[in-house]
Amino acid sequence: MSFAAERLAAGAERRGRRPDALRLAAFGFSAIAIAAFAGLIAVFAFEAWPFFRAQGLTGLFGVRWSFRSERFGALPMIYGSLAVSLVAVALAAPIGLGAAVFLSEVLPRRARIAAKVGVELLAGIPSVVYGLLGVLLLRDAVARLLRPFDPISGDTLATGGLLLAVMILPTVVSLGDDALAAVPRGQRQAARALGLGRAETILRAVVPAALPGLGSALLLGLGRALGETIAVFLVIGRQDNQWPERLLALEPLARAGQTVTSKLGGSETFLAYGDPTHWGALLALGLLLLAVVAALSFAGSWVSLRKVPRA
Amino acid sequence: MRRWLGLGFLVASGLCALAVLAVLSIALAEIIGRGMPALDLAFFTRPSAGAGYEGGVLFEIAGTLILIGTALAASLPLAIGLALAATIYLPRPSLRRTALSALYSANAVPSVLIGIGGFVVFVHGFGWGKSWLGGGLLLGLMILPAEAVALIERIEALPRRYLDAAYGLGLSRGQVARSVVLRQSLGGLFSGALLGLARAAGETAPILFAAAVFSGAGIPRGLKESPVLALPYHIFVLAQDSFSPAGERHLWGAALVLLVLVASLSLIALPARLRAHEESRHG
Repeated sequence: MSFAAERLAAGAERRGRRPDALRLAAFGFSAIAIAAFAGLIAVFAFEAWPFFRAQGLTGLFGVRWSFRSERFGALPMIYGSLAVSLVAVALAAPIGLGAAVFLSEVLPRRARIAAKVGVELLAGIPSVVYGLLGVLLLRDAVARLLRPFDPISGDTLATGGLLLAVMILPTVVSLGDDALAAVPRGQRQAARALGLGRAETILRAVVPAALPGLGSALLLGLGRALGETIAVFLVIGRQDNQWPERLLALEPLARAGQTVTSKLGGSETFLAYGDPTHWGALLALGLLLLAVVAALSFAGSWVSLRKVPRA
Repeated sequence: MRRWLGLGFLVASGLCALAVLAVLSIALAEIIGRGMPALDLAFFTRPSAGAGYEGGVLFEIAGTLILIGTALAASLPLAIGLALAATIYLPRPSLRRTALSALYSANAVPSVLIGIGGFVVFVHGFGWGKSWLGGGLLLGLMILPAEAVALIERIEALPRRYLDAAYGLGLSRGQVARSVVLRQSLGGLFSGALLGLARAAGETAPILFAAAVFSGAGIPRGLKESPVLALPYHIFVLAQDSFSPAGERHLWGAALVLLVLVASLSLIALPARLRAHEESRHG
């Protein structure tokens, strides 16, 4: 340490404020972390720019993707992403929230922790392993199940949705349980004292108080489903331009399709690099996905981080 | 009637919980049951051979360990910085909620986007080509928010009186951060690190474009153009082929090895992490 630095440190000491190296390091490292994520967004915006300049945002909202003729309509992929994710949430919501009620309201504390270990274990299974289970087991089962719709193979949007339902189940159970457990004990006691039964207490007092948290569990599950790549990639069939005639019909779910993520994870991403418009279109799609997922999870966690007033 | 409806509701919730348990058991039973026959000593000590379906997974395991080690080394200092900044140096509650929400959003960034970002920056921008370092840094970015959240929850679960006593003794914020908060939450640091390692080990999408190859790589000796093999990528590629029964056995074996790696990393620290999670919310 130089003499000047020593004098400085001594002076700061006298005033009771030493230069705090840890504070500097904490903010410095935080700045690096924030810059890395900001950089990621910047990279996508920068690389997508040539596409927006050439075709504008509306260039993405067509129903035909054919990079040889410079058409980058991404609606079929957006439809695919929404379809598999909504199937997943529709299946995982009742089962997951039901299980969360059981964990939080029925199980004793010890058993609840044990159950949470199981849920975490389910959450820890890597998505490529889920994908493998989907390829080797689920695909055939779905093909048999969907026989009335005459699917070409087991690679369908429904298969992707089913697999995603299993994958987001831990998120829904765990966050749902958090939301229910955060409801103050006093509210349960008050409800019981008013003569409500155990189930009525849960339905009329606990669940309404936990509603924002339960909603946020579903939002975060939906965000996870929209962003999942590898498992969906393996079971969806990756069929471009599958735009259904009727958007809300169920039959298209029995066909192969493409999601935004399965497109981005595929070999076209390697091929497109070097062609500014084509590459830009893919990155624009990524930017769209990033915006939607980030908004969903910010909203979801903002709600669930609300401080519950203690009773 | 009321009583029966209530009972029905509770039974229904129990059935839901049973369904989750069933899904977990089926998944685990299938992977373990089909993977076990492939596991012998040679599976761990020999490199893969043939079209990837034969031999062992020695270099896939080595590559995965290199990647997750790099990811941990890159992410842990940043996670500690974020956690200290969010808990000690940013004491305003409104900022805390924003900071945590931002961390949750960062945690939800689809991993394929991180992979593509790395493809732009590391592979082409820096000219690294496929490299273990690029993959490790991307995985580090991927697990950073979860590590920071685990650490923040641990710090917030510290008894308030520790901090009160420390400040009461006239310690400065830096001294409190160093000798009380960091010292007392070493367990959280440890469990956050293990959680990060477990997540990094299983991820495929971030290394898809920037780090992993399917064959022809061993232990990397340089930085540029030095890709690695990796267990998840190995499974990902093989799962897209049509296979022979022997190949299928190899594939399930690799999946079981990956699962055991991930599960053992995350299970060691799980009880402590769950407790901290509960206490930080309802302390």
